[in-house]
Amino acid sequence: MKNLSALLLSCTALAIAGCGDDAKTSDAKDQNTAFASTYEPLETGATLITNANIIDGTGEQITGGSLLLVNGKVNQISKEAITPPDGARRIDANGLWVTPGIIDVHSHLGNYASPDVNAHADGNEITSPVTSQVWAEHGVWPQDPGFDMAIAGGVTTLHILPGSANLFGGRGVTLRNVPSRTVQGMKFPDAPYTLKMACGENPKRVYGDKGGPGSRMGNVAGYRQNWVKAAAYKTKRDSGDYDRDLQLDTLADVLDGKILVQMHCYRADEMAQILDIAKEFDYKVTTFHHAVEAYKIGDILKENDTCAAVWADWWGFKMEAYDAIRENLPFLHAAGACAMIHSDSQDGVQRLNQEVAKALSDGNRAGLDISKAEAWKWLSANPAKALGIEDQTGTLEVGKRADVVIWNADPFSSYAKADKVFVDGALIYDRSGGMAPVSDFKLGQPGTDAAPIGGQ
Amino acid sequence: MRQYIATLLAGASLLAPASALAADNFAIFNTRVVTNDGAGVINGATVLVEDGKIKAIGKTDTANTPAANGTSIIDGSKMWVTPGIFSSFSLMGLVEIELESATNDSSAGDADNNAGLRAADGFNPKSTVVAVTRAEGITHGVIAPNPSNSIFGGTGAIVDTTGEFDSIVNPNAFVYVAIGQNGASKAGGSRPAALNMLRNALRDANRKYIAPDDGDAASRTDAAALAPVLAGRIPLMVGADRASDILAATALKEQFPKLNLIILGGAEAWMVTGALKASKTSVLIDPVESLPGNFEHLGTRLDNAQRLDAAGVQYAFMARTAWFSHNPRLLPQHAGNAVANGLSWDAAFKAITATPARLFGQADLGTLKTGQTANLVVWDGDPLEVMSAPVRVVIEGERQSLTSRQSELASRYNPTSTDTRAHKYRR
Repeated sequence: MKNLSALLLSCTALAIAGCGDDAKTSDAKDQNTAFASTYEPLETGATLITNANIIDGTGEQITGGSLLLVNGKVNQISKEAITPPDGARRIDANGLWVTPGIIDVHSHLGNYASPDVNAHADGNEITSPVTSQVWAEHGVWPQDPGFDMAIAGGVTTLHILPGSANLFGGRGVTLRNVPSRTVQGMKFPDAPYTLKMACGENPKRVYGDKGGPGSRMGNVAGYRQNWVKAAAYKTKRDSGDYDRDLQLDTLADVLDGKILVQMHCYRADEMAQILDIAKEFDYKVTTFHHAVEAYKIGDILKENDTCAAVWADWWGFKMEAYDAIRENLPFLHAAGACAMIHSDSQDGVQRLNQEVAKALSDGNRAGLDISKAEAWKWLSANPAKALGIEDQTGTLEVGKRADVVIWNADPFSSYAKADKVFVDGALIYDRSGGMAPVSDFKLGQPGTDAAPIGGQ
Repeated sequence: MRQYIATLLAGASLLAPASALAADNFAIFNTRVVTNDGAGVINGATVLVEDGKIKAIGKTDTANTPAANGTSIIDGSKMWVTPGIFSSFSLMGLVEIELESATNDSSAGDADNNAGLRAADGFNPKSTVVAVTRAEGITHGVIAPNPSNSIFGGTGAIVDTTGEFDSIVNPNAFVYVAIGQNGASKAGGSRPAALNMLRNALRDANRKYIAPDDGDAASRTDAAALAPVLAGRIPLMVGADRASDILAATALKEQFPKLNLIILGGAEAWMVTGALKASKTSVLIDPVESLPGNFEHLGTRLDNAQRLDAAGVQYAFMARTAWFSHNPRLLPQHAGNAVANGLSWDAAFKAITATPARLFGQADLGTLKTGQTANLVVWDGDPLEVMSAPVRVVIEGERQSLTSRQSELASRYNPTSTDTRAHKYRR
């Protein structure tokens, strides 16, 4: 039995590494319609939130404001009273804080799902330094209980990435954080695909004794060699006479500007070199992820219009994470760069507001003067930009998707919890109302239900 | 008038970097003091520290008026004074960079002996982690090696975060052993194998060794390390999360009645509060754990702490989800989240101060009382709030530096800096 499994596995591995590349086809239309989003908002109708302390995501704050959501969109936002349509749900926020839904630009929910068992390690195709043919969504399990805890943390949009063992790791996918039986039912409609790439220690550590790359030099050679191949492929593809190659399709789409590069990169000097590679091959790095040393090159990032997605205080787990400082986000912001928080963690994703609060307070202690309303850009507007969905979500501007969180206290406090979370105007989570999604996996498990405290 | 003068003095004292460490002298008034003692929380309080000792704590009206000669006087009206944070478990000072094995003394995969491996022998007070941790108000910590080629990690220590060479408070504080899936993987592949090894090793602790390998499970040196555990002189810290594994640990007391057990992990501890209480077993948990992270965490709940508290089980907090090596400094945030999840502030704060200090035999730490050597932190706000930070840290009566490698990097790259020299010249 074990032998049979091994045989099957090795065939699969072979197919992924190369066999599939022989498939001759077909027109580009297939690429664009494959695995299309089937997401529909969970409810329509109208909701009026009044008497709210609104952070709108653009840097403004409205005290005693009202927010009207109609048919899944922000319909009105005002300091003045708003007359809602008949039948609208009315919520008196009673002075509570209302913000745009949080966007986690770096998540592995679903592809490194809880429980963390071997069978759930679907987040990284660690079989070759170049695996741009794989798509993160094909490893996403919609029943990961982590999605349900993330919504309780006010996270309405998630970007799920392949892991960082490879130079080219594969396509990432942007999801609505909504209950769904399928990943297609979560896909953010028309959000651009992304390409995960990785700098530094991981690729050379993983492939150093498996044929390389074994050094940062090898990493750079690997990127460049594959961009050369991609450029040649793109020329042929543009001509219409070509053999389709899934690996190169993704890279050529980057060169066409259709797929956004999301690159795992810690060190400042390394990021600067990657930006040169992007110039050499005429593509754009949309975001550096982790970017522990981004604060050293805020000016360079600004000049290149490249964002940085960072933690508040993770550090020291490897050499390239040694120079972390807690002021990374505010220092980038002060340099005029596009900065954002990210989690890379099923735990951290539940408290991204607190991660921003820590960074904000440390930045202001260091002499900056950044408001909470301004800092909220690190939680929604800037990640929306990094994912190419800034015209759709990330702020509470009229016409955008009604992704909204009502907090039970100042969200820059340890004591705050998301109370109500709306995705496209639909109430997905209601803490005080006792409504929360529960994954299939959690049913019948010991932690899911418990007697009232004191009643045991 | 007095307030005005005090404010002026306060500015100076807060900005002045601590030079050579010396016994601290300061007075803070109009502040909020968390004593963790009978006095509870005192608002509008004065704390007077002289020659490194807490000379007075009381209402600002009634406490001794501090003399201005040589004593910093701080207006503490927005500040809090608390005992230093006591980290109940981490690898602080054992790991500089996790993936660089030459700098990582957290485990010994090829060592012959295990229970006798002492964390104190690997602790580096000059690790950058120590200074980074101290700057966030953690004054003391419990450290132990991780199990690697045996169920036993080794002998744990209690250290302070002064960064000085005399910072080991107790080098032989407890022995750490893992059961559950971790222990199973070290013992040969099953939970029964792990429990069998543990019971045999505890029996070996009483054995007279003629040859070094006479023991059923423990070498002679490991048996010697376990002898004080068996006698109940130091705790046995047992890594366990599944409720049935915790019960297996508490059941050890039937065979070895003197054991003083501390469970590390305790994801499902709320399910077995009766046995924990009956066996006087305490639990170290991470209060932000919310997910069924693996098959021994299926019962994980955010109200674990609240349930342990309601049942009268002794518990303290650790920060497992933030890793053990570099971020024990996040303990106050984790405790704050426990409050958000229903625990009282008082209980949550004790779970990172007085409770772990008591569990590890450091009764003088974790509280503020007149006559004590000062181990305290002055914060610019509620210490459990993520936006608060320490402004003064005092350990063993000495004012500590809040400078770290991270703060130096931040200064060098601070965008408000007017220094136009190349970065390498900026200090």
